[in-house]
Amino acid sequence: MTTCKNCSFYFAVPENAGDFEAGKGDCVIEKEDAKGKYWLSKPTRNDSPSCKAFKTA
Amino acid sequence: MSTVAASIKYNDKVVDFPLANQEENAIADEVLHENLARPTTERTKRLKARCRWKHAAAGEFVDAEVRAGIERMRFITEAHKASAGQPEVIRRALGLANILNKSTLVLQQDEFIIGYHAEDPEMFPLYPELAYMAVQDYLMSDYSPQPKEEAAEINEYWKKYSMQAKGERYFTQEELLQMYQVSTMEAPGFATGYNSISPPYETVLQDGLLKRIEMAHEKIEHAKREMQKIPWDATTGLDWIAKIDVWKAMIIADEAVINWARRHARLAKIVAENFETNPARKEELLEIAEISHRVPAEPCKGLKDAFQAKWYTYLICHAIDRYASGYAQKEDEMLEPYYNISVKEKSFQPMTHTDVVEMVEMERLKISEHGAGKSRAYREIFPGSNDLFILTIGGTKPGYVDACSDMTDAILEGARNIRTTEPSIVFRWHPVGREKTKRLVFECIRDGLGYPSIKHDVIGTEQLKYYSQFSKNNNGATDDEAHYWGLVLCMSPGVCGRRKTHKTRSEGGGSIFPAKMMEIVLADGFDWSYSGMQLGPHTGDPTTFKTFEQLWEAFRSQYAYATSKVIRAKDIMRYYESKFLQMPFVSSIDDGCMELGIDSMELSEQPNGWHNPITTVVAANSLVAIKKLIYDEKKYTMAQLVTALRANWHGYEDMRQDFLNAPKWGNDDEYADTIIKKFYEDIIGGEMAKITNYSGGPVLPVGQAVGLYMEIGSRTGPTPDGRFGGDAGDDGGISPYMGTDKKGPTAVLKSVSKVQKNQKANLLNQRLSVPIMRSVHGFTIWKSYMDAWEKLNIDHVQFNCVSTAEMKAAQKEPEKHQDLIVRVSGFSARFVDIPTYGQNTIIARNEQAFGADDLEYLNTQL
Repeated sequence: MTTCKNCSFYFAVPENAGDFEAGKGDCVIEKEDAKGKYWLSKPTRNDSPSCKAFKTA
Repeated sequence: MSTVAASIKYNDKVVDFPLANQEENAIADEVLHENLARPTTERTKRLKARCRWKHAAAGEFVDAEVRAGIERMRFITEAHKASAGQPEVIRRALGLANILNKSTLVLQQDEFIIGYHAEDPEMFPLYPELAYMAVQDYLMSDYSPQPKEEAAEINEYWKKYSMQAKGERYFTQEELLQMYQVSTMEAPGFATGYNSISPPYETVLQDGLLKRIEMAHEKIEHAKREMQKIPWDATTGLDWIAKIDVWKAMIIADEAVINWARRHARLAKIVAENFETNPARKEELLEIAEISHRVPAEPCKGLKDAFQAKWYTYLICHAIDRYASGYAQKEDEMLEPYYNISVKEKSFQPMTHTDVVEMVEMERLKISEHGAGKSRAYREIFPGSNDLFILTIGGTKPGYVDACSDMTDAILEGARNIRTTEPSIVFRWHPVGREKTKRLVFECIRDGLGYPSIKHDVIGTEQLKYYSQFSKNNNGATDDEAHYWGLVLCMSPGVCGRRKTHKTRSEGGGSIFPAKMMEIVLADGFDWSYSGMQLGPHTGDPTTFKTFEQLWEAFRSQYAYATSKVIRAKDIMRYYESKFLQMPFVSSIDDGCMELGIDSMELSEQPNGWHNPITTVVAANSLVAIKKLIYDEKKYTMAQLVTALRANWHGYEDMRQDFLNAPKWGNDDEYADTIIKKFYEDIIGGEMAKITNYSGGPVLPVGQAVGLYMEIGSRTGPTPDGRFGGDAGDDGGISPYMGTDKKGPTAVLKSVSKVQKNQKANLLNQRLSVPIMRSVHGFTIWKSYMDAWEKLNIDHVQFNCVSTAEMKAAQKEPEKHQDLIVRVSGFSARFVDIPTYGQNTIIARNEQAFGADDLEYLNTQL
């Protein structure tokens, strides 16, 4: 099973961050609609099962 | 071709009115406003072109993409379940923290000020902990949060815990139904969730949240030491328990806000390093990341910091912790120190004045994208806008020294250039205010923005001093603090700054509707035209009233009944807010709450007792017509009037014309004005002032109509002023009824100036001639009008400056008039997003020109 850890949209939370927890990361994805481009960041964990947006680097 | 005002003879000479900008001669009246926007940079031009407006028209969102998000309601519910058993104030802090820790963040292309309050830029959050009826409405709409089943389950969970359930217990079913009609009384806040706040932004900008956390820790340590004192004294020692919980909750909330802002910093950095290909934007994103890492945790070091810290604070206070309408702040004075650092000294985040104007435009566009998850009724009453957003500028510092600055000018220049409906601006007018700034105020008004609206600086300042004397802890605004005020929403002044600001609408705000009361006075308190129920006390069969005074007293009874009930509802809401709806983040940034260890929903230092009568002038004009035609001239009997009204005047047109042509407010008519002045002072203000609200002070009228003059008009039957049932009410708090001010602009000022007692917070709407305002004499005439207004001691005025030709053209081809903005009442709206019913009320307002008599009265020097 692929997990968030292997996804290019997964960015581990740095150890010096206030919300750091082992295995915690940000899922950052790019979206675009008729009004323009935007990015969303969602908290996730590296062992979470991958979603439809999964992409390897 | 543009219309040019006809020449007039004034002071023995002919005065011509050529346009100030000759190029406008070639622009047709019908398209003028489509030619006035001039975004300062290509970036703000792009941002405006793609702006995600969330305007509503007749309660429906204009943009089909707009919808409710589920994240906020999901995360606050999750936290509420998980925190059972903990002190309520801690539960509230944990709720906020859970939302901030788990919510999806949004970063959009081109933006510099970042942060949003829902999981997608087309969404807005909902608040099931407030009013389940409001959420239920969304569940039944096309904007329902998804998955809908989960949202419905969440709403069901909150029913027993919600503010609505708590507040309803203290009213009879009959009382609740009367309030829920929203026809003599606004529905209570516990049933609508509608709210307003003036966040103490200054502590965030000046201290930073890390310092506030440190302060709370010190307070807790002090409290613990006090509790450990020997011998133990329970009479004082037990007080520390609640305070410790409040300070602990502040720490939880502030830490969560810092982490949330720093998540934004991470997002900007990740996008810069992994997605962005434009080197300049990449560099900018890294600067954005640096700013969001620094603020609001640390004090702001420059103007970019200040804009960003203010925005994060706004989102928490107005949208994430709880919904609150408004954009209350004294923005120019708050930002001026950072303007000086960045623009004048250039010691941090160096920039030019033009760069500041661009920042202002970007902030206005952020507000323009801000969606509010408010109930249907409130979406209906702000047509053509997202919500009410009002910031305050100008005015005076202690000693009545001019407070205008280059920051004030940048705010006005940005507003004029970008042309957005929101946020609205209030300018505090004082004779010492510099002319350079007043000219910019004029340019915004002349260009048809409908703002700034103008408030009388001295009246507002003295009102805060007056209210200060009723402070429950003898710590109301000092004379110096009374100068630092802004409007909480459209009209009511409140202190800004580090302490004593207005925290919740249960103190100040809310409406009652005299036009509908006038209708039911003529039916023994029964509402025959709309709800079919008894809305007020039995005040007697009007056909038995032998004297006008009996009618007057019957109205007084209806008014007193409704007023006391709505203030009681507010105060019961406030009681529960302090027990179950605490706001630890707001408490943490208020110096009073921090010092005393009292939550912001409980502590009241500076009273704010305003309440809002809407449609007063319909009732007042009705009383005038009745007195004249029934009691003085005896041309008709009350029985005839009641019969004609029940027929909505059908079959009684000659009679209606008599009532319609009876003297009306706003014409400097002694007969009408004598009655109406007494009506305002004896009943509207006098009866309210008998009430003492939560904050310990009297309640005073702050009449301003928003879109409720349409809503209430549609629910009010025919009235004795000659109005048909369903027609709109009057559009201000003290504005003449549309089309009935026929004696020119100075006659309006003279009428309005007669009301002076306990009322100085009533909205005056005026529509001015476009050709005169755009002429070479426009500023001179308007300035002389404003100077006269100031000397007449009138509290407020706001202007529409848009031609009937352009509004009618926009009705025919709305797609060609997206930039046409009009003043509704207390807020500005995109004309084409207002329902036709509302559009027609604006077209129906008299366009005031200035004749020689007016100019002579104003002592205009042409």
